[in-house]
Amino acid sequence: MELDKLYNAILNQDVEGAVKIAEACLKAGIEPLRALDHASEAIRQVGDLYGRSEIFLPQVVLSAEAIKKVADVLLKKVPRKKRGEKAKFIIGTVEGDIHDIGKSIVATMLEAQGFDVIDLGRDVAAEKFVEAVKKHKPAFVGCSALMTTTAIAQREVIDALKEAGVRDDVKVMVGGGATTELHAKEIGADEWGADAMDAVVKAKRLLASRTCLLKK
Amino acid sequence: MPEHLTRRGDGRLITMTGKQIKDDLELGSKDAAERAKIPELTGEDLETLYEIIIDANKVVAVKHGCEVVLSADAGGSTFWIDSGTSGLGMPIERSIAQGALSERVLGLDILQFPESDGSFKPAKVIVSYLANVIHNTLHTSISPLEFMAMPNLGYFYKPDGQWPEPISLIREGKNDEARKSMEGAARECHDAIIYVAKHLRRVGVDGINIDTVGAAGDPDFYAALTATESLKKVYPDLAVQMGMATEAVHGFHTELKYAGERLAGMWPHQQLKVAEKAGVDIFGPVINTKPHLTFPWNLSRAVTFTKACVREATIPVHPNMGMGVGGVPMLETPPLDTVTRANKAMIEIAGVDGI
Repeated sequence: MELDKLYNAILNQDVEGAVKIAEACLKAGIEPLRALDHASEAIRQVGDLYGRSEIFLPQVVLSAEAIKKVADVLLKKVPRKKRGEKAKFIIGTVEGDIHDIGKSIVATMLEAQGFDVIDLGRDVAAEKFVEAVKKHKPAFVGCSALMTTTAIAQREVIDALKEAGVRDDVKVMVGGGATTELHAKEIGADEWGADAMDAVVKAKRLLASRTCLLKK
Repeated sequence: MPEHLTRRGDGRLITMTGKQIKDDLELGSKDAAERAKIPELTGEDLETLYEIIIDANKVVAVKHGCEVVLSADAGGSTFWIDSGTSGLGMPIERSIAQGALSERVLGLDILQFPESDGSFKPAKVIVSYLANVIHNTLHTSISPLEFMAMPNLGYFYKPDGQWPEPISLIREGKNDEARKSMEGAARECHDAIIYVAKHLRRVGVDGINIDTVGAAGDPDFYAALTATESLKKVYPDLAVQMGMATEAVHGFHTELKYAGERLAGMWPHQQLKVAEKAGVDIFGPVINTKPHLTFPWNLSRAVTFTKACVREATIPVHPNMGMGVGGVPMLETPPLDTVTRANKAMIEIAGVDGI
């Protein structure tokens, strides 16, 4: 019952309500990670609704805010070693391209799904991506490009990362209106996102495989 | 099974069997129908579309008697513009390119005269110059001439304008502040459209083409609709053509309504109805091409959306059929085989009035 309420509160962007329900879950003796699983399920549903143009960016942001606060409440009761760390994701629109909206939507969806997003903005030069990688040591770099004429700059970012010797430290994802999976392979990216939710799903998949590799 | 040469949405040549093509045609139509809650193409439509796609000729054309009104995005500006990636950059007088050449060489039925930057806000500053060139163009052409620009709400937000950038506010959870900013920008954009239209009407421009509408989401669409309504009150004989930016209106404000209908999330057939209520004379739906999927899938999807739009229309529908829209692949110079097939399908299956 409480878990269903938690799910609905996040889905309906009720930030304060979700926090109160999370506290009630703990009082009722519900395992915090189980409650967090339910909350994550609500965020997945938020992503689906966004993909169908049934809800929009402001609603996604509020749902994301709700799950962040819920996670703060629940994770206090989880031993530190069981919590895991948020994966850092550096994202930006490549140099020469001023289209910001698509990249911002992806950034928001990633934040909603628990990534620690560092948004470099739009018209970002390859060397700025490199500087950010050296400074923040992220798990991911995401490059957005809306136009056919700027998609080639995604390759420049990958080349710059190689030149700086940090390419293998990160997974590079690319996306944007003019890009395809084939383009991503041709320029040497690790993954391509067809849209915001696809990017999130693939980032999570890469993260899981990366974690496996690290364990080995 | 014989294979047919076709393309993907990014323009790459591929081969597909007849069955693969038919499967993609069904899937594309189904995708549009499910998203916009509109009817799928009929079996007859899909068969016609299949025949258009597998036609052995590189270039196809409409049947006799099916010819429609033709315009081109920014008309003859291709002659004189050199953006670095497109345009011929010819040293040619602008009024000749936009008027006589567009009409007598390209055979365009409607002449679209663009602001160089493409947006209404900067057009305000050079409106006297535009009026002068349009005046000259009107003297050397017969076809109706529209001044064309985008609402481009981005120009009204900081750093280019006075209103706080709303996407950043939304991401900080400051939705009320973001909404105030969007409403202010939409009002200012409305005023810019009226200002420009008023000055150009004085020299006899036949219409105003509000293009790439909704690129900055629902407030952008709202600005275009309210500006159309205002223009029609003052100049009822001034034509207004509205071309969209995307198939679904992004919701950034999410509560803006026009004629009682929420604008966020509207699909082409719904966009058309509010455009009609605002007084729009020609509506241009946009259906986005998915570069990673096939041309048959994309075209079937685009025709499904557009057919639903035409069915509900009481005004002419002229879909956008350029790079990356209307089923046409996302390529700087769209391949002629796909462009002609997409146009034929839009005319003979969706029943559009112009391209």
